[in-house]
Amino acid sequence: MTIRRSSTGPVVAIIGYGVAGVNTLIALRGAGYQGKIRVFSDIDTLPYSPILTSYYVGGEKTFEECFPWCLEELGALDAEVMNSCRVVELDPEKHVIRTTEGIYTYTKCVIASGATPMNCSFTDASEYEPLVLRTMKDAARMKAAITKPDCERVLVSGASMVALKALEACLNQGLKCTLVGMSSHVLDFNALPKAAMRFEKGLRNEGVQLRLGQVIKAVKEKVNPNSLTRRRLEVTFSSGETEVFDEIIVAHGMRCNLDFVQNGSFEMGEALLVDGFMRTSDPDVYAAGDVAQATELISGKKRIVGNWKNAAVQGACAGRAIASELAGDRLFTEKGFIGSIPTNTIAVKDTLFNSAGTMEVTSRRYVREYEDDDMLILSIFQEEADGTMRLVGFNLVCNEDIPGSKAYETGAMLTQRIKRFESSVDQTPHTSPLIQAD
Amino acid sequence: MGLLECSKVYWEFTGQCTQCGHCTKACASLSATDMTLGGIAKALLRAERNAGSVKELRARIVEDTRLVQAVRSCFLCDLCTNTCFAHNDANGLVYHARVDFQNLALIPSDTWLSLQVDQEWDIFTAYRSVYNIDFSDLRRHMLADGPKAQAGFDLAFFPGCSLAAYAPELTREIFASLEELGREVTLIDRCCGSPLKNAGFFNRAEALCNHIAEEILGTGATKLVCVCPGCANNMETAFVRNNLQIETISLSAFLTESGFIPKRDLPDAPLCLSRSCQDHDGSYLEETCSVLGIDSFACSVFEGCCGAGGSVATFDHKHQSQQTERKLQSVPKGSTVVSMCPTCTYTYALYLSNNRRDEINKHYTELLFESQIDWDTVFDRFGCMWTGETGAWLAHVLT
Repeated sequence: MTIRRSSTGPVVAIIGYGVAGVNTLIALRGAGYQGKIRVFSDIDTLPYSPILTSYYVGGEKTFEECFPWCLEELGALDAEVMNSCRVVELDPEKHVIRTTEGIYTYTKCVIASGATPMNCSFTDASEYEPLVLRTMKDAARMKAAITKPDCERVLVSGASMVALKALEACLNQGLKCTLVGMSSHVLDFNALPKAAMRFEKGLRNEGVQLRLGQVIKAVKEKVNPNSLTRRRLEVTFSSGETEVFDEIIVAHGMRCNLDFVQNGSFEMGEALLVDGFMRTSDPDVYAAGDVAQATELISGKKRIVGNWKNAAVQGACAGRAIASELAGDRLFTEKGFIGSIPTNTIAVKDTLFNSAGTMEVTSRRYVREYEDDDMLILSIFQEEADGTMRLVGFNLVCNEDIPGSKAYETGAMLTQRIKRFESSVDQTPHTSPLIQAD
Repeated sequence: MGLLECSKVYWEFTGQCTQCGHCTKACASLSATDMTLGGIAKALLRAERNAGSVKELRARIVEDTRLVQAVRSCFLCDLCTNTCFAHNDANGLVYHARVDFQNLALIPSDTWLSLQVDQEWDIFTAYRSVYNIDFSDLRRHMLADGPKAQAGFDLAFFPGCSLAAYAPELTREIFASLEELGREVTLIDRCCGSPLKNAGFFNRAEALCNHIAEEILGTGATKLVCVCPGCANNMETAFVRNNLQIETISLSAFLTESGFIPKRDLPDAPLCLSRSCQDHDGSYLEETCSVLGIDSFACSVFEGCCGAGGSVATFDHKHQSQQTERKLQSVPKGSTVVSMCPTCTYTYALYLSNNRRDEINKHYTELLFESQIDWDTVFDRFGCMWTGETGAWLAHVLT
């Protein structure tokens, strides 16, 4: 991309330098925007992939391999990147961004600040700071902790995707693992009980102890009298039982990074409500990724679909729309974001889980089951107004994780069937963020 | 625009790829070159960044032998996309890379001249000409009275270039059956443009489909019945692109909804169905099972490219042959392999003619109709046509 930038003119600000921010940047330049782009990043490294953090912790990727884009590539996009520059306030009225390093104005702004792990419901009684997994810093801390020679047992609290990937990393480091989760099954909100149970069977086969339907009640740090350096964590569960671990990983979900947004500045649900071009209720501010609540196609409602691809596509949409608007085309001739369908793929050691669409089984939906020795497929069909049955979701659990295998092909095939629905959706992106928030 | 025509596509792909490496583990072509899909996009952009001229860019890409191998040896089968956590579009990436390769003369012309299916002569039309395979009587919309007078068709039948060339009797029998089902049918015996796309002529492939779409519109047909899922995809895309209200339907689905009864019994040997890589959502497979009266869960299904995808044979014949072998190895011994795409059937037939195995190879239409494909004759004819008088003519029109 050849960029000839003028020194005056509009400034596009991007708050956040993750996948949504990078894709906004790429799309802005790809759509021909040659003006100034200023990126605010609260880290001092290149953008990393949160997906790869667990691979680093588990020893499958090096630290360097977790950064999908090199300096040379990002440099070619010619943005002013403000590293270690935390945004403390966004003032949409004055078009001003206040940061730890100074105050900056903008013409258009994209909020792509991502999400942070929540520690909520982790016992307050302990001074122990549990391990979390999101950033490379988190990953480095986790890896350092669990690879200490005297670390033998790890407790993972949570039943989400992040919890399971952290669990796999620990298994890959040869640790004994216990997973505790408030829910009665793993893969909260993503799996039907039968699929979750099959996945749990795979975890048990890997030697994982499962404490489902339980929470941590108390954590007490205990110093081992035989080793001055080794402290252990005595954990009391809601069942009343007590066990001792060396480290605790907490993965209790994520919350959007929107501390810099003042109450009432934007229309909000769980995150910033956006229209079909990723515009918030302020026409000069866009949002993408974990901070954006956009249309989810199965329900037709606005939801956060927090995954890598969605963040990338939304960031690109915001970039194209801004470039189009700044070029004077107020009608947004560029393709909008009609919505997304949630998809998930996770493998823990040899057990693969793949899903897409909704897991909500209502009176108009039924579940069809296929199971053999290798695979379980649960398909959710919905009866349409014309009496036809439409696939709206599926779970696939397989006893082996082989890239390119039938399980991956089947998962992709079923995902495509759900996505057929996309073509029947009105392809005109709506231009108001204020519809159908959950 | 930079030195590469499709750099925007590579940037988009680069933005969406985590570099997790899952695609490499899934694909024999990528693992042979130790490249990820994102790595292909990045390598192209790097070559562009570091080159001052088209000549230099070409030289840089040629130097990167892994990149050239990865782009040219891709079967475009979607195995990597299906394994990718983000389902990033590998086909789009490689098609565009081949467009740039074509622009930079990195695909030798002798590998694609016979596949220029938008020209008067290509390997299929030449074969048909040499062996007098002619369907002009079935192209009803083009008969004497002119297109306008012949616009009263409700169905257009699209057998695809392979079936039309290698199985003319079967093509005619299917056509007759569609008529017997009470439909006004005309034949569109053209190629959907896949070979052009494979060779990096994206625009020409689209233009060809647009032209065919216009022809179908002129027939008055509102339904296009396709034998092959790849043809159906290309034509459906063209209808959408041109805003035409023509429905694309698989032959199997059409036969089922019309109450067709198969003209022969199923073979005794267990069936092993091959899901075409172009059958992205498996609907062709399911519809074929339905017309055959079998339960797709009750018979074995194998996935992935037969080896013919992406015209890999024009670049690395051994790699293509290994892929065919890999696929057939996953078939239960003694099965009847049933493929959806006639080119897959051709590819398996060619392999089996040189490598004896217990498996039988059939196109699904051969299980529905009386006529069968005589592959021995087809391969004999291919061998003969390049000699003597026809050989000289072929050398003239195809090279």
